[in-house]
Amino acid sequence: MAERKTESQDAILNAIDAGLVVLDRHGRIVRWNAWMVSASGKSAKEVRGKSLAQVFPDVDLERVVTATTAALESGASTLLTQVLHPRLFPLKTRAGRDLLHDVTICTVGDPPDAECLIHIADVTMATLRDGYLRDRQNARYDAVVESAPDVILTLDGDAVVRYANPAAALQFGHTAKELVGQNAAILFESQTAWTDIWHGLRKGDKSRQPVELLARRKDGSMSYLEVSAARWQVDSRVFVTAILRDVNERRAAEEALRSSEAQAHAAADALADLNATLEQRVQERTEKLMEAEEALRQSQKMEAIGQLTGGIAHDFNNLLQGINGALDMVQKRIAAGRIGDIDRFVQGAIASANRASALTHRLLAFSRRQPVNPRPLDTNHLIGTMEELLRRTIGEKLRMEIVGANDLWLVRCDANQLENALLNLAINARDAMPEGGTLTLATSNMVLDASQALVRDVKPGEYVRLTIKDTGIGMADDVQARAFDPFYTTKPIGQGTGLGLSMIYGFVRQSEGSVRIESEVGEGTTIEICLPRFIGDLVPDVSDQGDGAAERQTLDNEVVLVVEDEDVVRLLVVEVLNDLGYLALEAVDGSSALRILQSSQRIDLLATDLGLPDINGRQVADTARTKRPNLKVLFMTGYAEKAAGSTFLGDGMEIISKPFTMDNLAVKIREMIER
Amino acid sequence: MKKTPTHTELSELELDALTELVNLGISQAAHRLAKMVKEEVVLSVPKVTLVGQKEAIKILGERESKNMVAVHQIFEGEITGRALLIFPEANSLELVRAVIGRDLSIEEIIELEQEALAETGNVILNGCLATIANLLHRNLKISLPEVLRGESAEFFNLKPPPEAGDTVMFIYINFAVRQRNIEGYIAMLMDMPSMATLKVLLGEFIRRTTGASTS
Repeated sequence: MAERKTESQDAILNAIDAGLVVLDRHGRIVRWNAWMVSASGKSAKEVRGKSLAQVFPDVDLERVVTATTAALESGASTLLTQVLHPRLFPLKTRAGRDLLHDVTICTVGDPPDAECLIHIADVTMATLRDGYLRDRQNARYDAVVESAPDVILTLDGDAVVRYANPAAALQFGHTAKELVGQNAAILFESQTAWTDIWHGLRKGDKSRQPVELLARRKDGSMSYLEVSAARWQVDSRVFVTAILRDVNERRAAEEALRSSEAQAHAAADALADLNATLEQRVQERTEKLMEAEEALRQSQKMEAIGQLTGGIAHDFNNLLQGINGALDMVQKRIAAGRIGDIDRFVQGAIASANRASALTHRLLAFSRRQPVNPRPLDTNHLIGTMEELLRRTIGEKLRMEIVGANDLWLVRCDANQLENALLNLAINARDAMPEGGTLTLATSNMVLDASQALVRDVKPGEYVRLTIKDTGIGMADDVQARAFDPFYTTKPIGQGTGLGLSMIYGFVRQSEGSVRIESEVGEGTTIEICLPRFIGDLVPDVSDQGDGAAERQTLDNEVVLVVEDEDVVRLLVVEVLNDLGYLALEAVDGSSALRILQSSQRIDLLATDLGLPDINGRQVADTARTKRPNLKVLFMTGYAEKAAGSTFLGDGMEIISKPFTMDNLAVKIREMIER
Repeated sequence: MKKTPTHTELSELELDALTELVNLGISQAAHRLAKMVKEEVVLSVPKVTLVGQKEAIKILGERESKNMVAVHQIFEGEITGRALLIFPEANSLELVRAVIGRDLSIEEIIELEQEALAETGNVILNGCLATIANLLHRNLKISLPEVLRGESAEFFNLKPPPEAGDTVMFIYINFAVRQRNIEGYIAMLMDMPSMATLKVLLGEFIRRTTGASTS
């Protein structure tokens, strides 16, 4: 029975496609199946009763012996894989090739009667297939990775290096062996950047752009690497393959470029700063210059007036002489009872007084601080009003001729500045003719064609041409060239600022006109001013109305309140008003004026002196206007400048400067009432 | 030692004896591993504790990252249970690399990991279990190794379900192989009757050892 059982067991063991060996508790072979016979080339008979060491004398069987001992003594099962124990036994396949095998050793039965079963599994096919697949898969990959000039690292889920290619060893100075097992973080100087990349990868960020990192080599030197990395997974295990490209050269080039760009930027910035500073300085200087110009324009006028003073004082004396003389004569004739021809002397006195009045009027107007106020102008008329002043300016040694064109066009500019220009030019002409000569002022209409306009640097078109010509010493070319420069003067120190011509130039250019000098040494100088024609009507300027104003016809009984502390003036004004057909009311001071103004009395116009003994004219007007908001007010004053302040006059308020002619007053009052 | 009703208590002396046994077992395992890799292998046991199943899960969960690898073997006899050699996944690769000792690509290691780990774990667990069984004069049948991957909770909840009151003998181990330091754990899961038997066997072992020393 036992024999049959053993035979049937043998048949089963022999039929199994695996190696089966049974050892007794002394380690002697008791079973050896057909598979073992085939694989080892040793028959069962041959090996029975022997130990494994006797059967395979050339093989290191220490692990097998240990395992069998453990199985027999402790019941332990042992696995010996071909991975760790390649070709443990010298076995061949039926085709005669090496047979790769795993071995398991375990206990059969219970100690102390236990036996040991050694089971050998053929894994040749599987191992070769795996190896073949791996090799085929890896061949291309390895070729790329091993020969890649870039560092290629494979990291596990904890950032520990699992693989490093030869380029990594070159780059870092660590051998691949040293690198494997280290945390990749030790390779990077910029830890934060690396940590960012790593966390991104761990989270599974896709398509990350390469990031530049500073790496530290084994020798401590630094290297810039561009890192691109990708995550991959085997089962639940995460890996990251990182490619690190050496960008030191590129970086050095970029650095050089950046630094040269930075230098260029710095230079540009500095230039921009400089420009800004310059612009600011120019701005500041321009503002200061404009202020200075404004001040100088005024002082220029005063300088001119100063120069005139001598001559004018003389003239004034002459005029006063004429008046006094005439009045003397009148007094004497009256005393002598010869009143028949006193009218002649009275006319003479009036004429002298008028001339004196005109003169002071011009002086006051001239010296007034007035804002630049371009308005339509008749140049001939302006010259006419200046004639007296100009004649006195140039003195008696010089002749003055005025040649005004008929039907002269109007121009549009600031009258005060044009007067100033004329006066300055006249003074220059006078100074150029110390030995006497002729000053000729001429006006004409002129159409500038393209070339004429180009020479004068103006637009072609219609202009009024004003020339001031002297027969003096003339100017050399270099003086002419610089004549319009500010502060350029040929005059001795103290006799001129050198700003006259430059200010004329400024004024003319501002008025879109031109100014030119024609001069030759010894042949005299001609200054030509061209101002563009103004198309339009002249705005009448009441104060410039000459003597002989229109006669006044009697009108309705409009009421004018005259407030004037000077009896003679008040008397005259009232007389004029009455003559004109107005009803005139009188007040000698502010308070009596206010009593009338606060009554219900009709009053069409308040004509008041500004300087009153109690309350001044302005206050009278303002108080009156609280009750009569539309009351028209005419201020009479001897202080033009004070009255001309821009904020002084409200709507319906006007001013007339003393002295004024009765006709002027009449025109002004009529105009105001009718408006 | 804390009194916890969920598992069998060992006296301080018994725990010392157990620690001694484990150390002997581990050094035997180190010896076998060293023979296998033909390099010096140092295995040390800094700590042995007995904890409940839930606590074991908690300890591992707190100490280690989620992904773990374990080599699992069953032991049967007077004491029955499961033995697990547990590593964090990263460490398991280190261990394989250390054991194989050749310069291998990561791909190759991944391919070999399963088998190499199984065999290495087998050596360690066998060495440990067999030595303890021998010293306790008992026989154990120890199964072939099986590699598991997952979280610690999975390792301590293997089918068939453990009986109530399972105790985990938790052994912290340090490996030093080829200049590589690898930390891992050996966990032995035993039911209440097995723990009771262990306590008895430890008592006998103590008597034998102290009796021998006094004779």
